[in-house]
Amino acid sequence: MLKGIITLLFFQFIGECIAKLFDLLVPGPVIGMVLLLIFLIIRKASFPSLDNAVSIHLKYLPMLFIPAAMGIVTQIDIISKEFWAITASLVLGTIIALAFCAKLMDYLTIKQESKK
Amino acid sequence: MNYDALIEYISSTPLIWLLVTMGSFKIGIIIYEKFNKHTLLQPIIISYILIMSILVLSGASYEEYFKGVEIIHFFLGPATVALALPLYNNLKHIKTLFLPIVITLIVAGVFSILIAVLFLWALDAQLPTILSMTTKSITAPIAVITSEQIGAIPSLAVGFVLIAGIIGALLGTAIFKIMRIKHDTSKGFALGVVSHGIGTARAIEISQKAGAFSALAMGLTGILTAVFLPLVIQFLR
Repeated sequence: MLKGIITLLFFQFIGECIAKLFDLLVPGPVIGMVLLLIFLIIRKASFPSLDNAVSIHLKYLPMLFIPAAMGIVTQIDIISKEFWAITASLVLGTIIALAFCAKLMDYLTIKQESKK
Repeated sequence: MNYDALIEYISSTPLIWLLVTMGSFKIGIIIYEKFNKHTLLQPIIISYILIMSILVLSGASYEEYFKGVEIIHFFLGPATVALALPLYNNLKHIKTLFLPIVITLIVAGVFSILIAVLFLWALDAQLPTILSMTTKSITAPIAVITSEQIGAIPSLAVGFVLIAGIIGALLGTAIFKIMRIKHDTSKGFALGVVSHGIGTARAIEISQKAGAFSALAMGLTGILTAVFLPLVIQFLR
């Protein structure tokens, strides 16, 4: 699995370097993700060591953002002051976006099928 | 026996917060699996509550806690890179519905950010809240690093990401029924665009095809948002 972990860290490193060198606003790890995607497309397949490294990272993915998430204890002020705005935005915003997105995709799919 | 030295050690070692964080997450997984993986019992929600209680009881500050678990935070970087693989594995589906996917991705992606911001703006929310809401539909690791980039509050951003995911997973099927959505591919794609990983877990239950399209949508939405959102926000400033 070491080769896979090195691959992930290497692509992250290259991504961060590119972001710094060209003053990009895109986060370095996302550039690394795109580069790894391009690498896989060119190589036409993954390899077992990378599969294992990826699966262990993604299996415990939610645990990795707990440190950032716990910062919520310092934001109680904002949350209590803007509770209703946040609730409306999250609940209604998500419902409307979900309905809109599914309907749009469905409409475009049906249109493409009828053309054939 | 030297109790003072023991207490001194326990209150200063990062090991204690690492154990608390990983232990709480493991307990979260156990409970989640005991209750047939109910959406509301996400392992992270359970560990949130456990760690929060321990933090409050111990009187430790968030800064102290974060210092102890910084090594976990570090792995968000390689985990983000790792997201390339599931995206690669589902990339073949792009060809079958190329135009619908590209159009929906761009139009619905922008729409879902705008509608959420509009509600906040109409209800007088402040700028940090609005910025933290812009990443609510993308997968949490990318949301954390992107919100740091745009000057939002990462912890709020993660909270919003989780709730947007849970709402989508809970209400998705009902919404699709009301809207008379015909194709599983559309259902999966919408869950991926709006509700990232938690939505994708739900999409897999609808069908394998819905799951594949959800994973595809999640990866593409994450990349597009991380690339264009910082540019748009810098331009508006």
